[in-house]
Amino acid sequence: MKLRTIALALLLALSPAAAHRAVAQEASHPQPSQVRVGPHGEHLVGAQAGPVDIVTPHITDSHALELPFVGEVELPRWTPVRIGGVAIDLSPTKHVVMLLVAAVLCVLVLVPAARAHVRHTQQAGAPKGFANGIEAMVLYLRNEVILPNVGPHGNAYVPFALSLFFFILFANLLGLIPYGSTATGNISVTAMLAIITFVVVEISGMRTQGLGYLRTIFYIPPKEVPLPLKPVLFVIMSIVELIGKFTKPFALAIRLFANMTAGHVVLLALISLIFTFGSYFVAPVPIAMAVASSLLEIFVGFLQAYIFTLLSCVFIGLIREGGH
Amino acid sequence: MCTTVLGTVISLLAAVPAFAQEGAEGAQHAPSNLLSINGGLMFWTLVIFVVLMFVLAKFAFKPITAAVEAREKALEDAIAAARRDREEAAALLAEHRKLVEQAHANAQQLIVEARSAGEKVRAEIVERAHQEQRQILERARAEIQGERDRAIVQLRREAVELAVRGASKVIEKNLDNDTNRRLVESFLATLTPAIQS
Repeated sequence: MKLRTIALALLLALSPAAAHRAVAQEASHPQPSQVRVGPHGEHLVGAQAGPVDIVTPHITDSHALELPFVGEVELPRWTPVRIGGVAIDLSPTKHVVMLLVAAVLCVLVLVPAARAHVRHTQQAGAPKGFANGIEAMVLYLRNEVILPNVGPHGNAYVPFALSLFFFILFANLLGLIPYGSTATGNISVTAMLAIITFVVVEISGMRTQGLGYLRTIFYIPPKEVPLPLKPVLFVIMSIVELIGKFTKPFALAIRLFANMTAGHVVLLALISLIFTFGSYFVAPVPIAMAVASSLLEIFVGFLQAYIFTLLSCVFIGLIREGGH
Repeated sequence: MCTTVLGTVISLLAAVPAFAQEGAEGAQHAPSNLLSINGGLMFWTLVIFVVLMFVLAKFAFKPITAAVEAREKALEDAIAAARRDREEAAALLAEHRKLVEQAHANAQQLIVEARSAGEKVRAEIVERAHQEQRQILERARAEIQGERDRAIVQLRREAVELAVRGASKVIEKNLDNDTNRRLVESFLATLTPAIQS
């Protein structure tokens, strides 16, 4: 993290664009001849040209990849695929690459660990070293998070929840290494993960409850309710139940996205303080603070992956419990 | 679970285009909008996650879970065996303790018996010794008495002999001297108490 912040600071300080921006910010009188381009392509002049957004481009997706020693690499742009009049731009972006890297890291870390685990278990009866650490995480999630929340016969959901945890964890942590980017700080990614969870939750509800699943959508008033009130309650509560169904994954998506984005905004804002003050003497303070918040980010990366997994399991457990 | 995931994939693939249109438009015009939805990215997220999940489930979580479950079972067996062994050991220990206590009691009783027997033997021996001592003493005393009596008799005889010899000497000088005889007699009479005492 220290490396990352220092690299970031150096990058921002040395790259001509950053220097240009910093100078432009420092200058109290923006030159009229300087033409700035706004987010929507229109030309900004005068007072509007003052503040420059270096934070947003850094945390959002782009079609370029930053690589060590190579610099920026433009990713290929494919023509959008059209399915029935709907265009999907399937060209890989920075976050797609980061997701792939996270997935590959997951496989590279977990599969050899599993192999070593099996080998150690056969040889010595117990795993050791790294495999033991991975086992501790897997076992903790399985025994303390997944199985108690999903409920009886929850073994089938263990691979799903564990994959969710490790995938989100690696995607979170990738944003903390130099040249990395937080794919889970993109609402599209978190939304998709939440939708996957939503579908898994609903299908598991259908599978365990059968027709009883309909009761999670349509509210049936209890017998004590007087007859004329029943249709009213039915309509109101059914709407509430339906909204509740969609609120859960929505909250999941927003929680992960906001947590990941916020940390990086704070980091970049701290680094930007150096340029705001325009002095080398101020630099140690924001860098120290950035290091501290980077450390916090590691914790948040673990925490958010854990929370996403935990809540997914809780939702699965809730809908499965309804039938019993 | 597989059917669940397959259902997920199918329904999401069907749903992606709906998100895509908005995303594609948003991506072109406002690249720096934090909340813009990108359909392509969503599609790739889905594909990557599902593939990752199958790979991890097959090659990572299944072996780990299987090994862990095997170990848990082995541990449970070992714990059950240990519990059984401990119960057996406790029973054995109780039995041994009882045996040792019995042995102690036996030994105690034996000691008591031996002690009383010894006491009796000692008393007998002492009694016998006393008796023998008394007998020896009595015998010694009797012998002493006998010897003394004999000595007295012998002495008397000796005295008579001496007296007779003395008398014969006197008689040789003056035979039938009554006066002399009386003199000797009276002399002897003075001697007697000295010998007797």
